[in-house]
Amino acid sequence: MGDTVGKVVETLITIVIAVSASAAVWLIANLIVAQGRNHWTRFATLRLGIGGLLFGIILSGNRIISGSGSIEVATERNGDTSWVTTGSWSERLIAWIWFPLIAMLAFAAVGALMSMRDSRSERTLIGAVGLAVVAGVGGALVREQFRPEVDAAALAIAVVVVAGLGAAIATLRRRDTISGALTGAAIGWVIGAWGAPELGAGSSVWSTIALAIPGAIIGVRAARPNVPDEAGRDRMDRRSRAFIFLGPALLFVTTNLVVPALRTLYLSLFDRNSEEYVGLDNYRTIFTNPKSWDTSTWRDMFTSQLMWVGLALLVLFVILGIRGKRRTGRVIELGSASSGPLLGAVVLIGFAVFTTVRGTIVNNLWWVLVVTLFSTSLGLAIAVLADGLKGERIAKSIIFMPMAVSLVGASVIWRFMYIARDSAKTQTGVFNSLWVALGRLSTGDGLPTLIIGAIVTIIFGLLLVNIARNLARGEPARAAAPAVFAILVGWFLLRYWRITGTGVGGHRIKDDGTIVAQPINFIQDPPFNNFWLMIVLVWIQTGFAMVILSAAIRAVPTELIEAAKVDGATDSQVFWRVTLPQIGTTIGVVVTAIIVLVMKVFDIVKVMTNGNFGTEVLANNMFREAFSFGDTGIGAALAMLIFISVVPIMFLNIRRMQRES
Amino acid sequence: MSDIAVHTRGSGPIERIYSTLRRVPTIVLWFIVIVWSLPSLSVFINSWRTRDAQRSRSWWTTKPDEFTLDNYESIFNSTTSGGLSNSLLNSMAISLPATIIPISIAAFAAYGFAWIDFKGRKGLFIAVVSLLAIPLQVALIPLLQLYVNGAHLTLPWLDKTITIIPDFNLVNTTTAVWLTHTGFAMPFAIFLLHNYISSLPRDVFEAARIDGADHFTIFWRLVLPLSVPVLAAFAIFQFLWTWNDYLIANTMAGTNPDAIPTTILIANLAGDFGMNEHLLPAAAFVQAFVPLVVFFSLQRYFVRGILAGSVKG
Repeated sequence: MGDTVGKVVETLITIVIAVSASAAVWLIANLIVAQGRNHWTRFATLRLGIGGLLFGIILSGNRIISGSGSIEVATERNGDTSWVTTGSWSERLIAWIWFPLIAMLAFAAVGALMSMRDSRSERTLIGAVGLAVVAGVGGALVREQFRPEVDAAALAIAVVVVAGLGAAIATLRRRDTISGALTGAAIGWVIGAWGAPELGAGSSVWSTIALAIPGAIIGVRAARPNVPDEAGRDRMDRRSRAFIFLGPALLFVTTNLVVPALRTLYLSLFDRNSEEYVGLDNYRTIFTNPKSWDTSTWRDMFTSQLMWVGLALLVLFVILGIRGKRRTGRVIELGSASSGPLLGAVVLIGFAVFTTVRGTIVNNLWWVLVVTLFSTSLGLAIAVLADGLKGERIAKSIIFMPMAVSLVGASVIWRFMYIARDSAKTQTGVFNSLWVALGRLSTGDGLPTLIIGAIVTIIFGLLLVNIARNLARGEPARAAAPAVFAILVGWFLLRYWRITGTGVGGHRIKDDGTIVAQPINFIQDPPFNNFWLMIVLVWIQTGFAMVILSAAIRAVPTELIEAAKVDGATDSQVFWRVTLPQIGTTIGVVVTAIIVLVMKVFDIVKVMTNGNFGTEVLANNMFREAFSFGDTGIGAALAMLIFISVVPIMFLNIRRMQRES
Repeated sequence: MSDIAVHTRGSGPIERIYSTLRRVPTIVLWFIVIVWSLPSLSVFINSWRTRDAQRSRSWWTTKPDEFTLDNYESIFNSTTSGGLSNSLLNSMAISLPATIIPISIAAFAAYGFAWIDFKGRKGLFIAVVSLLAIPLQVALIPLLQLYVNGAHLTLPWLDKTITIIPDFNLVNTTTAVWLTHTGFAMPFAIFLLHNYISSLPRDVFEAARIDGADHFTIFWRLVLPLSVPVLAAFAIFQFLWTWNDYLIANTMAGTNPDAIPTTILIANLAGDFGMNEHLLPAAAFVQAFVPLVVFFSLQRYFVRGILAGSVKG
């Protein structure tokens, strides 16, 4: 218990420190800029202090100053010295921050002394000597292995070139040429003295000189009369504010998104240890690997029942479409009669393809098809069904609730739906319980078997009656949907009754004639285990689609619907001809949002199968390659692949958002 | 269904059956609702049942004497998997900073983009918003390397290496996780807040400017109070996003049992088949408890946040 309290306190302290430190930095920056308008000298002093802080951070962060940067033990390995960091985080923080803080105070002190003098020559003297001393002390503290052996020629060239460059830039920007030259000279000196020569060969005298001189130059530069006029200060204020307000966000965006994304692109062109350039080999490996794209069994799709039923539905859709065209003049007519077969055809043919052509990339496409189609159409159906119904809010809340649950949590939840226990034991998962119970029913001969059979037979009869009535009225198009249902139910019945079939559901007839339960291993039996994983995401995303679509349905002008009803349109005609076209854009929004989400699907696969049993998808493959197998090249290439597949859709989305706002 | 419902004239026995079928939409809806709640219900009920009961009998045939509090007790006390209370704290230590810090930083930036005039404002804004297109997988490998090694730049020609960001040894800490979240949240947060802040009435700002208020004062005194609804929507979205995140936490802190959030704990628990499987429902329920409370109490903001968040990369 004491442990927990300690942890709570530690957690809270960390949060408070992190938040308040960032807030303090930001507030101080605002305060400093606020001085610029009315107290220029104070502002100049503070600005010099910030310069000192940056100077200190660069030296300290690069571990150039002895005893600063980190607490580490130098270890020799293969002739290279590497540092192993030690110490607690507070010790490390202090080691890192002491030098920058002292540098900041010293610089600010020099700045304060300068601002007390009115005479320019005195200011120049104080600035030059003060900063030379401060920077020189820093130089004297430089670690042995960084002390430069200054090469006078290189130094002179660097100073002259960069000073000239600085002067030219300042002149072009209509600023003080001499100030520009001085800044350039200081930068040139640093480059010439520290960048050009071999480090570690020089003495502390050289390192002191190499920092003291640019310090002096900056001191002279700071003493130049550069108090701007009112307009200049205004411009300065605006610019600094823009920088302060945008700076933190841009910093995070750069370090966490832009640079890493570019680096991933770069890494994807290198081998597994990022050592050797391999060009597009990683991408080639991914695309030629049978694990991501296995077409060896593609012929099987034509012997698949799914394909043939799908094609039959497609034919039905075409027939209905042609009939519709004769009536309304449109080739493809959306409506309850024809879109059912179309939807069924797409799903079945898709399944036929995706269960015979296998692989990581194929799985991703299958995910896109199933989750997008099922979530959107189910979400739309629920939105329509619930519209204006009693208990609409409760129903919608329950459907939407899975959005609040984590994908990991949802996977765990669905594992309990999919549990398959040994055939001799009681099934504890909902699906297998029902499946095994159905098997027991259809192979049994008790009263329940009869009752269920009778109910289904009655439904079959009703469907037949419905078909007959529609045909008698001369509306064969209306008979199509019940006919499809009747075929399905009839097929079920044929297998259900023991006289005509071998029974349906989870059972197996042994050689000796005894019947045992036969549960489905939903998670481990390929290729349909993929589908059962997709259902988890459908369960979550349907609520999302429903909420957006039902808002869109509400927004359809009631006059339109009233007018259609006055003209004698039925409910279903109103939906297909009025509501659906009106919410077309919103459906597009939902579909694109879900596609982007599905292309990156990771958590469900990781938790339920970790990509085993033929369920691998791009994002999980990327995680495995990069973080489990340590193949940075392939991992980066897979990440780029996800990126490339999502970009077009995302850009459509962003364009739309910009139009809306 | 409506096909069937259309033909209801007449009063024969078949017609009577059809008129019952009129209620089919309602029945179908409530059937879907029941199906939708079954998964959660099964886990919720199982979380209160003994290990033996969970393994041998289905949850809808449960008997009163099978109920127990043991599962909840063991997940909070268990030392085998680091314990749930520890990971709940880690989840908090990730989600709170990962909500508060991005929201403030993004508010500054949104204000800057909306109301501070500077050169290249529009281009920069479009550039930042375009980053919404980057799926987070793309940044993970380099970010992990950054947290392990720091960032070093080798200067061309001079052949010297400069440390731009030192290694703070952040890997496997909650700090690494929320820092990552902060970066990833930025484009979306800026976009969302900018939409709102830029639509605030211009007169208010001009009046304040005339009164001599600087940008900081305007931001603090005017913009923040006026933006509470959008800040709340984003905060809820971001809190749930970070609370429910698995990928980033697993990448940045997955191997340190002391730093893992609840999602990883549960995934690990689900990974070791057998011994602890009976604790899974209780753990999953506790993990989902916080988001569910948010969901039921702040549903309006929640919906708004989720809808806006659908564009996140």
